[in-house]
Amino acid sequence: MGKLNDLSINFCGLTLENPVMLSSSPVSNTGEMVGRAFDAGFAGVVYKTIGKGAFEIIHPAPRMAGYDYEGRKLIGLQNVEQISDRPMNDNLKDLKYLKKNWPKKAVIASIMGFSRDEWRELAIATEDAGADMLELNFSCPHMAIEGSGMKVGQAFGLLKEYTEIVKRHVKIPVMAKMTPNITDINEPALYAKQGGADAIAAINTVSALVGIGLDDFTPRPNVFGFGAASGYSGPAVKPIGLRCIAQMAGNPALGLPLSGIGGIETWVDVVEFLLCGASSVQITTGVIHYGYRIIEDILEGLSDYMGEKGVTSLNQLVGRALPNIVTPDRFDHARQGIANYDLDRCVGCGQCHIVCQDAGGQCLTWNNDRRRPVMDEKKCLACMICSFVCPVAHPPMITFKEVPNKPAVRPPAME
Amino acid sequence: MEKEFTMDQAMQEAARCLMCHDAPCACGCPAGTEPDRFIRKLRLRNLKGAARVIKENNALGGVCAVVCPTCTLCAEGCTAAGLDRPIRIGEIQRFLVEWAWQTGFAPLKADAPNGKKVAVVGSGPAGLTCAAELARAGCKTVVFERQPEPGGMLRYGIPPHRLSLDFLNREIKDIEALGVEIRCNTAIEKAADLDRLLSAEGFDAVFIATGAWSSVALDVPHRDSADIFDALSFLKQAKTDPQAFAARVRGKVVAVIGGGDSAMDAAVSARKAGALDVYLFYRRSFAEMPGDSEEKRQAISAGIHFVILTQPTDFVIENGKLTGLKVVRTRLDAPDASGRRRPVRMAGTEHEFQADLAVEALGLVPPQEADSFGLPVDAQHRIIVRDGAGHTARPFVLAGGDAVRGASIVARAVHDGKMAARAILDELKSRG
Repeated sequence: MGKLNDLSINFCGLTLENPVMLSSSPVSNTGEMVGRAFDAGFAGVVYKTIGKGAFEIIHPAPRMAGYDYEGRKLIGLQNVEQISDRPMNDNLKDLKYLKKNWPKKAVIASIMGFSRDEWRELAIATEDAGADMLELNFSCPHMAIEGSGMKVGQAFGLLKEYTEIVKRHVKIPVMAKMTPNITDINEPALYAKQGGADAIAAINTVSALVGIGLDDFTPRPNVFGFGAASGYSGPAVKPIGLRCIAQMAGNPALGLPLSGIGGIETWVDVVEFLLCGASSVQITTGVIHYGYRIIEDILEGLSDYMGEKGVTSLNQLVGRALPNIVTPDRFDHARQGIANYDLDRCVGCGQCHIVCQDAGGQCLTWNNDRRRPVMDEKKCLACMICSFVCPVAHPPMITFKEVPNKPAVRPPAME
Repeated sequence: MEKEFTMDQAMQEAARCLMCHDAPCACGCPAGTEPDRFIRKLRLRNLKGAARVIKENNALGGVCAVVCPTCTLCAEGCTAAGLDRPIRIGEIQRFLVEWAWQTGFAPLKADAPNGKKVAVVGSGPAGLTCAAELARAGCKTVVFERQPEPGGMLRYGIPPHRLSLDFLNREIKDIEALGVEIRCNTAIEKAADLDRLLSAEGFDAVFIATGAWSSVALDVPHRDSADIFDALSFLKQAKTDPQAFAARVRGKVVAVIGGGDSAMDAAVSARKAGALDVYLFYRRSFAEMPGDSEEKRQAISAGIHFVILTQPTDFVIENGKLTGLKVVRTRLDAPDASGRRRPVRMAGTEHEFQADLAVEALGLVPPQEADSFGLPVDAQHRIIVRDGAGHTARPFVLAGGDAVRGASIVARAVHDGKMAARAILDELKSRG
């Protein structure tokens, strides 16, 4: 890896050496692990959520299940892991160890209390241990302890109250982590703001079932005959994470720094989150899939992208997509187009013809001799589904092309 | 045999398939196995359906998966080659057939007996396929086989590194499970035998698939030595008596003559059994060799020495023992009737080549005895049929496979067996 551009970014008053942190999860479970992630290049950590220990945390076995697609492993991951099962003091010791040995890295303590007193005590203890910032876990979707995690994130009054309690007792910035398992992510975010939150992190995992055993009729992971809806993460949820970040970033009433989470594996994902308004990002499932080493490629990719775009600071990218993210009523329906085919590159599989017949506008016929599609441009809906199934990509063989004065196409009446 | 695909490999290969609208792979399969459908079914996790498509289309779907020259058939037109490389159709097909075996799923079921009785002569791929199709439709089907065990060329002509006996036996078991009776050590070879089957024994129809078992020999002055073999008996021993075969070739210099699949099979079998050196003599160039390119590749990696543009002109024999071959270099002239360039001997290049054993692999034709069925045959003893279904001059006697075509590939024999079975069923139905 050559010398990188300056990847530093301002996040909620902290200067991160790059936007990428570990999120609070199995990948940030101990000081030893996080130390290795720091050495690999992560700019910070949101350390595995610390509890007071009044309730013993025991993780079920097994605690995770992968979601595969057509032989591709782990496009999604479901877990039923809860907050840290370690004694609070062990975790506090690790926070001190990390801050002492990696003073330039951001050490953010994630905490979860099960009472008002616990929130206060945890906030004070983690600030004393040297945390640069706190993340309040209002969003774990599968806590076994009644009235905690996502249940707080869905009860906006409680979320606001716990944020207020924490804010009253610490000087360091406080970030509230949101669950996507609600109707409008801006509602709890605004309650967190009213409670004094300085930043918002989103998304925690999506409540899901990755699969049911066909022989045991039990969801995965099968914990001795039972399964539960629980947290789903990984590339499959990235679009949901991006949407949540963009919705909050586009809400002028919120106006808080955002830490983007959800299926990030590559530098491209990081750039997309920045463009949607995040000024830091957090990763878990990408590390579960590939290990801490992915950070090397994320940083290198970010640096090269900055060079290509002539950007001198990543801060310049934050929110750049927001002006272009609108509600569909603002689209210009007067402008229409077609799917444009570069047939010189066509390999002749005819999948475009099949999907156009069965899901599109029936504008393609098939030339058997030449093994090529033939288009009636007047009938093309420009739905572009043909381009989604076309195997000739990079660059795509089928692209959208505007056709001036083309009216919108509707299916004709039956003759 | 090569290592089989795992479930993951098969799924990933299926995911590469472009699921073409016009499925060139399906058009390329003489046996009509429909790769496009079984690959799609695998991709949509319909494994039973995928195995069902293979076996319903081709009762020898497992055998074909491992022995078929896919690169010149189904995979030749594969659209994925336009992106990078063809889908490995044979490997997917084999995975699905073996998956069915391992899980105990039997895709084929026989209909209730329909009261018809059909005799099949020969238990090679054409005969077995025809018998399986007839049995599925409810016919009482008896296969007559002159050899001690069923399979014909599959058992005795294809070496174990390409098709193991266990694999073949397993697939034949599927066919027997349909109710097909295979009577081995029972030769049907004369017109009188056909008369007996069609009258006294009460068979409604006969399908003749006796194959091409006669080896073409070099026309040379000296050939009287026990060290000279035809490829078929050489391969037969390799498969049926591997110990004796190994004892025969171990440490020896073996000269194989010919450039087809049998030549490759004989050469690789000898090498695998411990021959010191195996030379393969071919009178044209590498490009003209009729052998499947995959087989050629395997022969090269097995360390076979290819001696191309070289024609054997005689064997050198001392006291009945082979000591070598007389050979002459050739050059290629204008194309001959086969469309390949004709080799011409180069004067002054005659020389002797030391060898301990020689194997002639110059092609197979139906044996002369094929004439004794009393059916019209051509000059190469091939039974003359009047249509694609294999109707012979005699009513309710059909023929197919190598006995009609001369030596060909398994998938074409399967095709013939299917076509004949279909025609027989139609005719027996209309006869009532």
